[in-house]
Amino acid sequence: MKENKLIKKLTSRAETSTVLILVVMVAIIACLQSNFFTVRTMLSYINSFTPLILLAMGQAVVVIAGGLDMSCGTAMALQLCIMTRIMDPARPVTGLYALLAGLAAAAAIGAVNGFAVGYLRLPAVIATYATSYVWLGIALFVTPTPGGKVVDWFRGFYDLKNIPGLAGIGQFVPSALLWILLACAIWWVIRKTRTGRYIYAVGSHNDNAYDSGINTAKIQTIAYLINALFCFFVAVYYAGQNGAGNANLGDSLTLQAVASAVVGGVAMSGGKGSVFMAIAGALIMSLVGRIIYFANIPNAYQTFVSGIIIIAAIATSSIYAFQQRRAQLKGGAGNG
Amino acid sequence: MDNRPVQLEKHPVREFYQQNSKTMNAFLMCVLVFILGEIVIGAVMGTHGTFLSVSQVFLTIRLAAFVALFGLCQQLVICVGGGGLDLSVGYIATLTGICAGHIMNGQNGGILLSILAALAIGGFFGLCNGLLTAYLKLPSLVVTMAMANIVQGIVNAYVSKVAIEGNAAPALQWLAAKFTGVFPNILIVVVLVTAIMMVLFRRTSLGVRILGVGANENTAYLSGVNVKRVRCAAFVASGILAALIGLLLLGYLGHASKDMASNYVMPSIVAVVVGGVSINGGEGNYLSVVLGAVVLQSLTNLFVALGWGDAGKWLGYGLILLVMLAAYIRNKRKR
Repeated sequence: MKENKLIKKLTSRAETSTVLILVVMVAIIACLQSNFFTVRTMLSYINSFTPLILLAMGQAVVVIAGGLDMSCGTAMALQLCIMTRIMDPARPVTGLYALLAGLAAAAAIGAVNGFAVGYLRLPAVIATYATSYVWLGIALFVTPTPGGKVVDWFRGFYDLKNIPGLAGIGQFVPSALLWILLACAIWWVIRKTRTGRYIYAVGSHNDNAYDSGINTAKIQTIAYLINALFCFFVAVYYAGQNGAGNANLGDSLTLQAVASAVVGGVAMSGGKGSVFMAIAGALIMSLVGRIIYFANIPNAYQTFVSGIIIIAAIATSSIYAFQQRRAQLKGGAGNG
Repeated sequence: MDNRPVQLEKHPVREFYQQNSKTMNAFLMCVLVFILGEIVIGAVMGTHGTFLSVSQVFLTIRLAAFVALFGLCQQLVICVGGGGLDLSVGYIATLTGICAGHIMNGQNGGILLSILAALAIGGFFGLCNGLLTAYLKLPSLVVTMAMANIVQGIVNAYVSKVAIEGNAAPALQWLAAKFTGVFPNILIVVVLVTAIMMVLFRRTSLGVRILGVGANENTAYLSGVNVKRVRCAAFVASGILAALIGLLLLGYLGHASKDMASNYVMPSIVAVVVGGVSINGGEGNYLSVVLGAVVLQSLTNLFVALGWGDAGKWLGYGLILLVMLAAYIRNKRKR
């Protein structure tokens, strides 16, 4: 009896399907790649998947709050360009200035997005599409062609081995993992507070939330600020990895971040889903790229396949939500 | 006391302005930008007549023509409501251009086949967009962006196997790229399309149905209009138009390239917003979209003349779009 209940509880949650898909993908890759289960491979995967994971987490926060952010890729690129423009390898303290400047940029980006969507009530999709070009333009002003510099200790943000004294830890704990844990910790804390609950409330029904006395505009702005902060993490990570800024770095990541959040079970209509599941979604999206590579499908097809996957992901999410609504209506009619 | 209502004197100009306020605004913006450009260029570079001469104005309109045509695709999709946008028009046009280049190979004879190919390509992808958006209710921006990725993937795969070759047919080049005196021939297309659109939306029942679906979905549905089919048809039309524009683009450029049309998508959306077409649907004034495209193109020229290049262009587009969105398109304030 008890077993039945547990299985039913598991299968009725949307997250189960996401985890199942993830397990299947890992199995496929493990079959295709002979050295999958080595530490080195794992490390290299974590290092390359982290940007999408962080962006997907930020996107999940915004989508749960009822909005969308089509500007996260270019926002990240802008923060990256600002930081690499400020840093000067000859003076290590400029790294600190760069961090502060990047944080300030993140605050501004989040505030503008939140203002446009929350206060001005512009449709989130188009408003953030517009702001993405604003960020791109500014980034191109700052860094017209890829360039810029980073201070040496900044590279520790990508790999702890680069910081003298931390090389020992750097062997086992990749910086990427620390970034993800940091983001998870931040969201975990926020989720426990009233603001976290309000984010879900505003996303699920904006008007009802307003009528309950919640400042919906402020909550949406907070969601966009959290998203901008996670973009900042990615920017710092890239700065540590590449040592240079590139205004076009985030171009392909935006849509993938949205898809990752949706694949991870966050409903596009808002109010539902888990930021932690978005990590699973990002892993799935990234693994697909790897599978294409290992299955020897030519690189030119990658955009093609990722486009199809994105559509499949949101279609499945939409159909699932539709079925749930129908089931609820039917259930209600039956009980009534 | 006399209880008859007071007869206010009807001022014809003011009435005309009020009825067509968005178009008038767009037109005024056009004029303003041209004058502004002239002043700024004159002040910065000391040359006169470079911005506001007849030939320059025609050149600007010629460059804006493609944005305006793509803006038509956007407008059709936006008109039927539901916050629709079509981001795949760029790559549909590119794919069509590449295929048509192969078919035509510099001869006039291949034009008919190219048009058929355009209809097929545009119709197919437009149908995919329409089915996903109208019947599955997926958000159109994400769907069309993903579709753009898919078509881009097809283009990339095609290009990696087969080199792009084949020039546009001379007749097509005459239409898209050449001038008759100082008048660019592509304007014939724009004027024709504008006329057709205005007749369609204001006089035909099809136009009324389209606008009705956008204005109030429920009312249209209750009046017997198949809302989903109209919305799907709008995307099909957008796809077909995009493909045909791809043909024109091929004629304009002479031969196809991998990224022929990707720079036109964002401006087409901005042009629609600048023209004052409501993003929520229900309005169908194509003339204001054309004017919006001209405003945008002349601003771009201004940025380029000032030496701001790509950075200024994107920043400008983003800011203009934001400002126009804030001015015209906001979700109804219920509180």
